[in-house]
Amino acid sequence: MSTTTQDAPVEDEAHHDEETNYLNHDTGIWSWLATKDHKRIGILYCISLAVVFLAAGILALFMRAELSAPGETIMGNETYNQVFTMHGILMVFLFLVPSIPAILGNFVLPMQIGAKDVAFPKLNLASWYVYMAGAILTIAALLTGGVDTGWTFYTPYSSTTGGGVLWMTAAIFVAGFASIFTGLNFIVTVHKMRAPGMTWNRLPLFIWGIYATSIVQVLATPVIGITMVLLILEQTMQIGIFDPALGGDPVLFQHFFWFYSHPAVYIMILPAFGILSELIATFSRSRIFGYRAIALSSVAIAMLGFLVWGHHMFVSGQSAISSIVFSLITYLIGIPSGIKVFNWVATLYKGSIWLQTPMLYALSFLFLFTIGGFTGIMVGVLAVDVQLHDTYYVVSHFHYVMMGGSVVALLGGMHYWWPKITGRMYNETLGKIAAGLVFVGFNLTFFPQLVLGSRGMPRRYANYAERFAGLHELSTYGSWVLGAGLFLILGYALWSLAYGEEAPANPWGATTLEWTNVAAIPDHHNFKRTPLVTRGPYDFHLADEVFGGGDGEALGDDVPRIPEPAPSAPTEDDTAASASA
Amino acid sequence: MAHDGPHIVPKSVLLRVFGGLIVLTILTVAVAYVPLGPLGVPVAIGIAAVKASLVVLFFMHLKYDNPVNALTFTIGTIFVIVFVAITLLDTAFRGDLGNVNQRTVQEIQAEQERAEQRNEALPADSLRIAPADYPDQERGASMSTEGGS
Amino acid sequence: MATETAPAPTETDGAHDHPAHLEHHFVSSKQQFDSAKLGMWVFLITEVLLFSGMFVAYAVFRQWNPEVFVAASNTLDQMWGTINTVVLLTSSLTVALSIHYIKQDKVKQCVYYLLSTLGLAGVFMVIKYIEYTAKFEHGIYPGAAFDPHGAHYEHLAGMAAAPQFFSIYFVMTGIHGLHVVIGMLVIGAIAFMAWRGSFSSEWYTPVELTGLYWHLVDIVWIFLFPLLYLI
Repeated sequence: MSTTTQDAPVEDEAHHDEETNYLNHDTGIWSWLATKDHKRIGILYCISLAVVFLAAGILALFMRAELSAPGETIMGNETYNQVFTMHGILMVFLFLVPSIPAILGNFVLPMQIGAKDVAFPKLNLASWYVYMAGAILTIAALLTGGVDTGWTFYTPYSSTTGGGVLWMTAAIFVAGFASIFTGLNFIVTVHKMRAPGMTWNRLPLFIWGIYATSIVQVLATPVIGITMVLLILEQTMQIGIFDPALGGDPVLFQHFFWFYSHPAVYIMILPAFGILSELIATFSRSRIFGYRAIALSSVAIAMLGFLVWGHHMFVSGQSAISSIVFSLITYLIGIPSGIKVFNWVATLYKGSIWLQTPMLYALSFLFLFTIGGFTGIMVGVLAVDVQLHDTYYVVSHFHYVMMGGSVVALLGGMHYWWPKITGRMYNETLGKIAAGLVFVGFNLTFFPQLVLGSRGMPRRYANYAERFAGLHELSTYGSWVLGAGLFLILGYALWSLAYGEEAPANPWGATTLEWTNVAAIPDHHNFKRTPLVTRGPYDFHLADEVFGGGDGEALGDDVPRIPEPAPSAPTEDDTAASASA
Repeated sequence: MAHDGPHIVPKSVLLRVFGGLIVLTILTVAVAYVPLGPLGVPVAIGIAAVKASLVVLFFMHLKYDNPVNALTFTIGTIFVIVFVAITLLDTAFRGDLGNVNQRTVQEIQAEQERAEQRNEALPADSLRIAPADYPDQERGASMSTEGGS
Repeated sequence: MATETAPAPTETDGAHDHPAHLEHHFVSSKQQFDSAKLGMWVFLITEVLLFSGMFVAYAVFRQWNPEVFVAASNTLDQMWGTINTVVLLTSSLTVALSIHYIKQDKVKQCVYYLLSTLGLAGVFMVIKYIEYTAKFEHGIYPGAAFDPHGAHYEHLAGMAAAPQFFSIYFVMTGIHGLHVVIGMLVIGAIAFMAWRGSFSSEWYTPVELTGLYWHLVDIVWIFLFPLLYLI
């Protein structure tokens, strides 16, 4: 082993403290485009994904506007088909799949485990460029006639229709590599880059969530790659694997597609679970209940998630025996998900709950995800699904999970880590108002859709029968409230960049390393000295010992006690000496 | 594992493994000429799996390597098996829903009512409820005959 | 596993006696090597799952049309297939030997065996070319252009799933061949770097990773050969 001894000049630290951080140590557009710093790559992803989310969100508002009344209101049927397709593709493949790992995972993960960077910084940058290439191909698909296949690309329609389908499938193939690169990087980083003392049992739960996600990304994404390749070959050379007119089997395409796309659902929700564990623990000021159960249930969900893809295909004509097996395994997913919700609620119990904006999102998540989960079990029931398949019930179910789960958790996480990312505080009052608007708007939009679906309103139609009009109108109003909330967030987030109050190093009194051992705006290399981890991730009691108090009454509600930083790791000299002793 | 210089697989081991791979290749070609009937495919895949294991363990160094690498590869292999096996669970039994019928439930009921009217006392054995009671399955037959056998 | 991570030095840029190959965010060469290797294994399972899709397609269509697959498989040239298997197995041995030698600082032998691997990969591609052209001459194309003719092939013309067999054959061997070509480019670059003296027993990570990749290409062929040519 090579020895890496060197002296740490003490005067360097003062120099580092105030002046240089990861944002200003190097400036200019090229320093961003060629950066290998995980924090800057996280921000690059954040900007790209915000643009995609804005575009796809505006498409959603257009869809709701079209559906506000029966008949044609603002767009024709063909346009509507393209709009809902693009909404789905952008949201799923270009926003939700990368969202939390690529933004917050990139920014937070190395800091939480006490590493200087991810294991492969160049690959990390390559991931963003590959993602952008996928985005450009998506634009090419729009320019070459657009896509109206739905985000699922079912054959034979997708293999015989022209337009931009070829470009779109190529875009998804390419964007898949961005996901693989991120997942690969995180797996290796968690295995090999942890700070001394950071054992698996001391990993923050966000890391466990991201780690489980990465496993799914690595195992599932190649399959969508080969699916898209075969679909492209089907379109260009008519290879006859999926097209029934040529002797192929369209249901086989659905197997291929859902072998990726069902686990992809867990790519979207598992990191959200991770964020939620952080938020609940920090803002309840209590050690997380059932640490190991939460950590391992993430891995269990990741694994079980691979065995249930066929529950999307109950009415596709697959064999009844496989439908039954898929339905039974689908119920099993409810167990680890339930374990998590139970543990979060138990963490809240007798906690010292601090209702800051991130916590409001965490509580929203608990409510919305529970609805999403229960409706999921319902559509997983074989007989019930035959009635509910392809109705607004399903639409509402997956919006409760994807939007009410993933996006709400992402918003909570963004607020939580915003001070660390930007060094500024957002406006707490506006934050709370926006959280309220999102919660109310979301439920107003999607709860009526549950009712619509159970009454038989089919998805993917621009028009509907008169009897559905009332609920659709309500849903459209809800979408405006939801949109207002999201635009408010965009507004005060931009405002805080320029005028926000400067953030302290640990505004929430959190206990994980990125708060306790990193400057208010992180240093280029994250840590002044590599931390030596000596305690679990949510040890708020240690803080009590250090600062007295103990029952949370000595200090006011909005003055959190700051846990002490972890000590520095011994240098190589020390370890060499102790090892030889 | 102590890391005093890299672990080196001895040349003799590499050459013996290579010899084994060549022997297995000859074996698998030879076996292809033996009429094994339904055992042909499992035997061929079994030999291929042994060959692949030799490559993974010795050429790819996994026998001497960090266990986490072996775990990684094992998980990947398991999920390939899951993908193949569960997809075949569908395609092998495609069309097993015996009562798939071209006619709607209403049509069937109407027909039964007509039959009822024809012969007032309906014999008990014509109350058909189980899937196997419906032999009329043009759709199922066209999809499943090859796969189901 | 907790022992994988070693204490990190305090952060100061420059002015340390790091080996040239050690990147700043790693603590030790061992950590860097282990990370690279785990990363490679993770990449390899993505490759395995990429190929798994084609194996699923093969399994499904074979299950539905066993006789057609046997008939179509018999039109493939078993002799070339067997030779190609031996060629790839040998190239796996040579690449393993090149790693064997670089670990002992025997750069010359390492380069020699890498070039042998490159040569064998070239032989594999040439044989594949001979096989492909023999098929194309008789109208055996993937997809819509499938139009078998000639003594050995015309009985396939009426068979229901014969186009599927050859579509799968061409896609599988085509993507495998693409991996061989990529492997050749990488091995060529690695051989050049080794010749320039970039690697030693201290640092040979790229050689090791290239070897792993090449063995995986071999493993895929180990399964493709019996499935397509023999059974």
